[in-house]
Amino acid sequence: MDITIALAALKVVGYGLAAIGPGIGIGIATYGLCVAAARQPEMKGQLMGYFFIGAAMSEALALLGLVLFFIG
Amino acid sequence: MDALSEFVQEAQGLSEHFEPQVVFNIGPWGVTQYIIWLFIAFVVVLAVVLIAAKKLTLVPNNKFINMVEFGYQFVRRNVAEDVIGHGYKAHLPFLATLFFFILICNILGLVPGFKTSTGSISCTWALAVVSFVYFNYYGLKTSGLLGYLKSLCPSGVPGPMRPIIWFLEFFSMVIRVLTLAVRLYGNMLAGHMVLAVFGIATTCFIQAALFAGTMDLIAGLPSIAWFLLLVIMYAMECLVAFIQAFVFAILSASYINMAIHAH
Repeated sequence: MDITIALAALKVVGYGLAAIGPGIGIGIATYGLCVAAARQPEMKGQLMGYFFIGAAMSEALALLGLVLFFIG
Repeated sequence: MDALSEFVQEAQGLSEHFEPQVVFNIGPWGVTQYIIWLFIAFVVVLAVVLIAAKKLTLVPNNKFINMVEFGYQFVRRNVAEDVIGHGYKAHLPFLATLFFFILICNILGLVPGFKTSTGSISCTWALAVVSFVYFNYYGLKTSGLLGYLKSLCPSGVPGPMRPIIWFLEFFSMVIRVLTLAVRLYGNMLAGHMVLAVFGIATTCFIQAALFAGTMDLIAGLPSIAWFLLLVIMYAMECLVAFIQAFVFAILSASYINMAIHAH
């Protein structure tokens, strides 16, 4: 196979692999937020802040993968 | 050539349409289409906010003013007050500016034929740097250089672990600028690319049905499905345009909160 095509294909596969973990992480974070907000709706505003920090940290890995896709 | 292979060929050249192209030059600087849309968004934001501010009354009796006030109040309640808490009023103008600017950039891009300036990495990078400098400035201002650097490591971590945790926290603080920029850019670019792919698919299959010598309506049937998908994705993109502006504002608020209320 042509080396450039192989590299391009591997980049896409690599990004796909990098997106698995953050996907699961954000799913768990959303689950936690929903459960907590259903139990104590008055805490929702504060929990949203924590949720967004956690989701952003988890998503950072996928975004680093995306950056490697462009520069690698 | 059948519709499917034509579609694949068209879709492969798609990313070129999203590259910044120089429209005209001012001295040594080339002005790309994204810069033009950035300035249009800038003018629209100024017009919306200034018109609303000029007719401000105690009880809003105008739909337009009501809408702008609702947006402002949304930022105030859900972004500033909930996340920052005590002392949120000083940071409200900054957060509201970010929210309105990104929201209007994103919404402008949804009008067919328009482009969103947040779909170029340079624009989102600049916005992220502004936010990064802002929260670091306030962190340094409230706790001083040493205090701010120390506050990166959460208190209660046992002694030997402190340098490692501090380094990890410092790294995650530095890549905030990267993640803020790439999140907005990636979402806007990918969304518009998906819309473009479905649009191309619709036209390819319709062309195959109508202009392929004989009228072959069966070949055009997939275009109905593609068009439905396009409409659904367009609705989804309307949601994403709002969510990304909200996420950018709320993450900036979280970072400001972490900087000024050192743990």
